[in-house]
Amino acid sequence: MDLQVAKLVSVESLQLKLVSSTELELAGTLATATAQRELSGILSKLHARIVEQKIQSFTVDVRPLNFVNSSAIRVFVDWIARAESAGYRLTFITERGVTWHRLSFSVLRSLAPQNVEIIEKNAALPGQPS
Amino acid sequence: MTEPKSSRGVERTLKLLHGGKAVEDAKRLAELAVTCCDAQCRQAASMAAWELAENLLKYGATDPTKSAGTIAVSVENNTIRVRTTNTVHSPKDARHVQETVSRIATSPSARDLYRERLLELFGDPSQQRAQLGLLRIAFEGSFTLSCSFEAPLLEIVAERACSEH
Repeated sequence: MDLQVAKLVSVESLQLKLVSSTELELAGTLATATAQRELSGILSKLHARIVEQKIQSFTVDVRPLNFVNSSAIRVFVDWIARAESAGYRLTFITERGVTWHRLSFSVLRSLAPQNVEIIEKNAALPGQPS
Repeated sequence: MTEPKSSRGVERTLKLLHGGKAVEDAKRLAELAVTCCDAQCRQAASMAAWELAENLLKYGATDPTKSAGTIAVSVENNTIRVRTTNTVHSPKDARHVQETVSRIATSPSARDLYRERLLELFGDPSQQRAQLGLLRIAFEGSFTLSCSFEAPLLEIVAERACSEH
């Protein structure tokens, strides 16, 4: 399955949207082996595209990703390892009010601090831009 | 919706069956049991119930005609308790759980243990099992873990202080 800009892709209760050639949004939940396998495949292709197009920095907005199981954390570990070895930067936009975002992404960043940045944002109030 | 005060302290129990939506049901059980708690507690309880239920289905009895085990959730005296009980398929797995729980209980930092495991996975992507569930419950969920194994029965208990609305 290939990602195309602005086209929403659903894998069970996980939604992926390539906002631009340098930004991906993940939403919903990621908690089944099938969804993890699918996502791993999609991210492998995305990684290959990032390397081929010599993109230096890629952003992943996980704010709408509200629940993952522990096996899914592995998907992010693997992507960070690939980014480090290919030499591009991953920026994760996280939601301050979501405990797993705040705690797990700080540890994920520590795996490759030169290649991973975390931008923590507060949930937007109704009627305000995020 | 707020849980009626009279039902607090009651332990809600669910038998988990292989197949279907057993893990989602365990998460829902936890969500129902902690409606009186704040957002952080609710997130922590859902995550712990999910991880423990997944472990139970992975490592518990494999007979599809019987329940794999039970999960129970309660809130009492400002403490959330998530408890799983199951017959283990392999005593080796039960010993591994005991060792992991003991390592977490004696470590000054659950974050360090979690990071250590992520570093192992980072350095060796070929590892099949993530084995992050219990570490995540302790680190992200701030739960204290304990377990007991009297063959063939394994019980894991996760407890944390909770703040009510």
